[in-house]
Amino acid sequence: MTDTRSIWDQLLVKVQEKFKSDIISTSSRPGVLAILKVRPESIVKLCTFLRDTCTFKHCAMVAGVDWKDRVEVLYHLWSDAFKGYLELTLDLPAEDPHVASVARVWPGASWHEREAWDLLGIRFDGHPDLRRVLMPEGYRFHPLKKSFELREPEELEVKSRHV
Amino acid sequence: MTEAKRTARVVNHINEVDNTEPEVPFLEIEAVRAKEFIPVAKETLMGLISRGTDDVTLPFFNWAQRNSPYPLHIGLACCAIEFASAFGARWDGERFGILPRSSPRQADVLIVNGTVTWKLSHKIITLWEQMLEPKWAIAMGNCATGGGPFRTAYSVVPGVDKLVPVDVYIAGCPPRPEAMLDGVLRLERLIRERRG
Repeated sequence: MTDTRSIWDQLLVKVQEKFKSDIISTSSRPGVLAILKVRPESIVKLCTFLRDTCTFKHCAMVAGVDWKDRVEVLYHLWSDAFKGYLELTLDLPAEDPHVASVARVWPGASWHEREAWDLLGIRFDGHPDLRRVLMPEGYRFHPLKKSFELREPEELEVKSRHV
Repeated sequence: MTEAKRTARVVNHINEVDNTEPEVPFLEIEAVRAKEFIPVAKETLMGLISRGTDDVTLPFFNWAQRNSPYPLHIGLACCAIEFASAFGARWDGERFGILPRSSPRQADVLIVNGTVTWKLSHKIITLWEQMLEPKWAIAMGNCATGGGPFRTAYSVVPGVDKLVPVDVYIAGCPPRPEAMLDGVLRLERLIRERRG
């Protein structure tokens, strides 16, 4: 246990040195190996490196948080070797948030990104199939945004596929 | 008055009378009326026959339909548990001829119990269109009736009557099995009065 922990500490230092200009800050909290705050434009490069050389083979979660003044995107990456999650966060502007997709790095991230697009309106550039997941096609809102208000239901035009 | 003048007046009179008389002879008019009568009579006869058979068959079909409303069960939430227990040993919905079916082709009544989301809506419409006529729909529970506590939620259909024509609404959250059976019996009354 202590061995993997010390190996991880060395690896983290190497990652920080290699991506010195891409990682804004490093912090930690119980339950995760580390929290890296990264620049949005370098997320694919960093994720590919973490997958190929740092044993983070599994993207457990991609989620979004609406902080009103900014939109935060969270990535939880699991490593079987270190038995822990690495948390990546990045900040996007509140209006029209764009970030490169990691669905090409981990195919399992595809539906997570679709959900983040569906509910929070974060657009993932380069996603192979960025459709809505939970809301029907033709829905106009991103309902988990803080600016979305509960309203009297407006009827969508629902048609059978047989008609 | 001379003889000639008198004759001329009579001729004139005859001419006038002739002018007012119809140009078509009476027998021909009869023939035309007879020709028109044949299709009218045929139509009337056929109507009489069809109404006559309907008088025999419609009450029979009505009796059969109202005594065996086979429901298609769309169980989406806690109402489905109540629906299931209504056909257990305690409430035994089958004594009313209610027998849940798994295929829309075999079902007469669409019973929607639970919260319907917009994502699911076109599936419910497809199931409704796959059911054979005559068919009825029952909205069971507050969610299917009007959205329930989730009415203002972004993903919930505010009542399944936005999607299919609903005959009977059953209130409750969830309604007890007695309420569900009462709803189906009310539907039976609607079918008996041919209002459903």
